[in-house]
Amino acid sequence: MRELLDKPANKPFEFYAAYYPPIYAGYKAFDIDGLVQGIRKVDGLSIFYHVFHPLFSSHVVPEDMGNDFATWIRDELGDRLLAQEVSDIEGKEPRTVENVREDLIKILSEAKVNRSANKPFYFITCKPVIYNTGKIAKNLAELVDMLASISVRSIAYHFIFKRVMGYEDKNDFSKWIEENYGLTDLSKRLSALDPQTYTDEEMLRQDLLKIFEQEVLAK
Amino acid sequence: MIERFAEIIGENELDSIYKIAEKLKGMSVLHVNSTPAGGGVAEILSKLVPLMRELGINTDWKVIRGDTEFFKVTKSFHNSLQNGIGELPQGAFETYKKWQEINGNELDLDYDIIFIHDPQPAGLINFKRKGKWIWRCHIDISNPYEPVWNFLREYIQKYESVIVSSAVFARDDLKNPQYIIPPSIDPLSIKNRDIPDITVKRILYKFDLDPERPIITQISRFDRAKDPLGVIRAYKLVKKHSDVQLAYVGSPASDDPEGEEVYKETVQAAGNDKDIKLLVLPPNSDLEVNAFQRGATVVMQKSIKEGFGLTVSEALWKKKAVIGGNTGGIPLQIIHGINGYLVNTPEEAAHYALYLIRQKSIREKLGEAGREHVRRNFLITRELRDYLMVAALSLGS
Repeated sequence: MRELLDKPANKPFEFYAAYYPPIYAGYKAFDIDGLVQGIRKVDGLSIFYHVFHPLFSSHVVPEDMGNDFATWIRDELGDRLLAQEVSDIEGKEPRTVENVREDLIKILSEAKVNRSANKPFYFITCKPVIYNTGKIAKNLAELVDMLASISVRSIAYHFIFKRVMGYEDKNDFSKWIEENYGLTDLSKRLSALDPQTYTDEEMLRQDLLKIFEQEVLAK
Repeated sequence: MIERFAEIIGENELDSIYKIAEKLKGMSVLHVNSTPAGGGVAEILSKLVPLMRELGINTDWKVIRGDTEFFKVTKSFHNSLQNGIGELPQGAFETYKKWQEINGNELDLDYDIIFIHDPQPAGLINFKRKGKWIWRCHIDISNPYEPVWNFLREYIQKYESVIVSSAVFARDDLKNPQYIIPPSIDPLSIKNRDIPDITVKRILYKFDLDPERPIITQISRFDRAKDPLGVIRAYKLVKKHSDVQLAYVGSPASDDPEGEEVYKETVQAAGNDKDIKLLVLPPNSDLEVNAFQRGATVVMQKSIKEGFGLTVSEALWKKKAVIGGNTGGIPLQIIHGINGYLVNTPEEAAHYALYLIRQKSIREKLGEAGREHVRRNFLITRELRDYLMVAALSLGS
């Protein structure tokens, strides 16, 4: 397998990256009903923002909660169990923000929480600003090296954003690996990683690299 | 200059700024505010404008003019927007309109992107000829005095978009996009950069503080919103258990008629306790502020109303555990139990201050987390990138 590392790809991998400037979505929720209504109303980018916000460690939140909804439910409504359930919603490929929205609505609609929060949940949406990093991997070895050093913003864009927003049915790395090298096992293992459960961007990077190491370097 | 930040924020972060700036290549950008110096907005613009220029963006900064009457009016607007109470000079709206017209006719406003900062120049939008106009609001407009807000809203609705410092300040009665961009500090400025211990101690000694004994410090104006009496009370509660000192360090504010009155009340509350230092320093005492923050055992920002409270980030950057009022933008900076404590009463403030004075290892742990939180979220480079992104999005690029 190791000889594949330096074999040129048919099409090089161009690394893009993105930031997601937050914009007030125009809704606030003071209780679970309000939260459900807001989740129904907001656009997919808002769900993306709140669900993946904690991944970017610029947003310092307690790392045991996987998304903004869960943190608010725990801290403002005081319901730890519901918070944990909301935190652990599955986000693995091929699930998109619309699947996550459905799960959130289902869980929250069934929840029996009557408390109102002092501090509301502010729904925020975002507009991605995407830019070309100028970095290109011409073979598998370069891809691995770049994954180890590039901004996690770039990894998140290719591995999470495009797929969970429904712009692609699979993450860019898996697609590229299959299309250029036919490495379906590696592709599947990458696809099986659930990014929604990460609250530390560097851990996501490390886990992706570990899969490459096990599937490509060690064989 | 911008290269100097690489060591702090990393090459990838810096690279993202360059890449996003490329989207604005060849564009002209103008910032407009109401004062060339003094106050947070001027402080930020004095850093932001040169950085934008360094990135190859044609950036200018212009300051509107006005007479005493105009600034009296805009000060009353400022207060009424933040406090929800309206005490306007007679003919306030007419005075405001008159000076918008004067400035609108005098200033060259032909730029691709124009950032108008705060309410003072907001009415210039009526003189828009070209470009995308963005209103950057640095104050809390969540609970305004309605007549003033309704007056200003007529102008603000005409902007391409609005920027507020926190989602807490976002308005439900605006249709334009409201971006959320918190303010920032410059880690390389005299106020924030590393200074030697000897400088810290020299300044503490100069103001008769003992660096060997615990010090609680609050840097803020003598303003009821900053709760100086609450700080004194918290100190006195701590004093029952610890040989602590208090340094409350403020600057005189010529535009704050209540300042002297509040100072007198604070002096009275302090009584004859020699360990309480109520200091009024000249504006721009940046080195002294730096030293007082670094020399503190615990930093307090016990505000009961706060726009953002960047003194919190300044202290966190210096690895200080901060006890902050649970209001305005302070909860964005202090994550309770992770880099400091959020409090609602002097009793709570005293509780955590005493705890922190006793627990050096906790102070250090919170301090490390605090510096990292600021490094990732509240440095000038992040704010610069945010402005670039809003500009790029406004231009559709």
